[in-house]
Amino acid sequence: MAERNNTETNIHRNEALQRKLAFREERKHHNVSFIMMILLTLVAFYAIWSDKVADSFAVLFILVLAVVQVFFQLYIWMHLSHKGHDFPLWGMISGILFAAITVVGIAGLIWTS
Amino acid sequence: MDAGQRLTDDNFPEHPEKATLEGKNKFLGFWLFLGGETVLFATLFGTYLGLRHMNMDGPSTEELFKLPTVFLATMLLLTSSLTSVYAVLALKQNRVRTLQKWFIITLILGLAFLGLEVYEFMEYVHEGHTFTSSAFGSAFYTLVGFHGGHVAFGCLWIITLLARNWNRGITLVNAPKYYLFALYWHFVDVVWVFIFTVVYLMGKVG
Repeated sequence: MAERNNTETNIHRNEALQRKLAFREERKHHNVSFIMMILLTLVAFYAIWSDKVADSFAVLFILVLAVVQVFFQLYIWMHLSHKGHDFPLWGMISGILFAAITVVGIAGLIWTS
Repeated sequence: MDAGQRLTDDNFPEHPEKATLEGKNKFLGFWLFLGGETVLFATLFGTYLGLRHMNMDGPSTEELFKLPTVFLATMLLLTSSLTSVYAVLALKQNRVRTLQKWFIITLILGLAFLGLEVYEFMEYVHEGHTFTSSAFGSAFYTLVGFHGGHVAFGCLWIITLLARNWNRGITLVNAPKYYLFALYWHFVDVVWVFIFTVVYLMGKVG
């Protein structure tokens, strides 16, 4: 009987340890994604500030950097990569799709008028 | 079990924010709301992109924007996004005091960001860039101001949320609320990434 209790405590302890390790791993992901976002911001800032990059290329370049940064936010910080996020994922994808059409549509309308 | 009861380490569910039907509904509804907000900000971005060179006699984007201030604001908001994700990590581990600590740091960073923005707008008004001075002015203040309004609303939200639940621990009722606030805060940061890029950085290259 005592032995059985002992095994149970061990299993319990093991589970707690597993969860703790998982949290540590998640925290590491958050830190890495934070450093990546700082770097992306710095690169974008430098590309414009230094005036060493041709303007038309710089605009395209910083827009790509912004999109990459948003993926870090959505997937790692907002947990879209986790299980059970299919519905939110499709909600956001359709939102972004409509957003892109809206930006191009409105900016285009003003531009041609 | 009563959903308003303080959770202990023994009965703590793996996903406290989605352990009840109400929590699940809030989670889905909030993500749909964020999808809608994306489109709402898109309308403002589209308008701004169309009107940004129509500054009449006022200063142009190149003359106006001071990148160091904006860069500092970006760093503040980015860091506040990290601290709010730390709070969510504490939420999942049933550490309510840690959660409160990180959310308070998030709040302070958000308020500092707002302070910088107010200072920046005041400088612009002195230089003749106002809401009614040109189409560029209207589009700029609508877009950037709307984002600032989101930050201000977020600050009020977290203040009331923390105050109301200060001594309640983590329950199945307040866990979804904390979680959704963090989602909202990240989203506001996502919008700022685009404002930083499209308004400020692109404003410097014409």
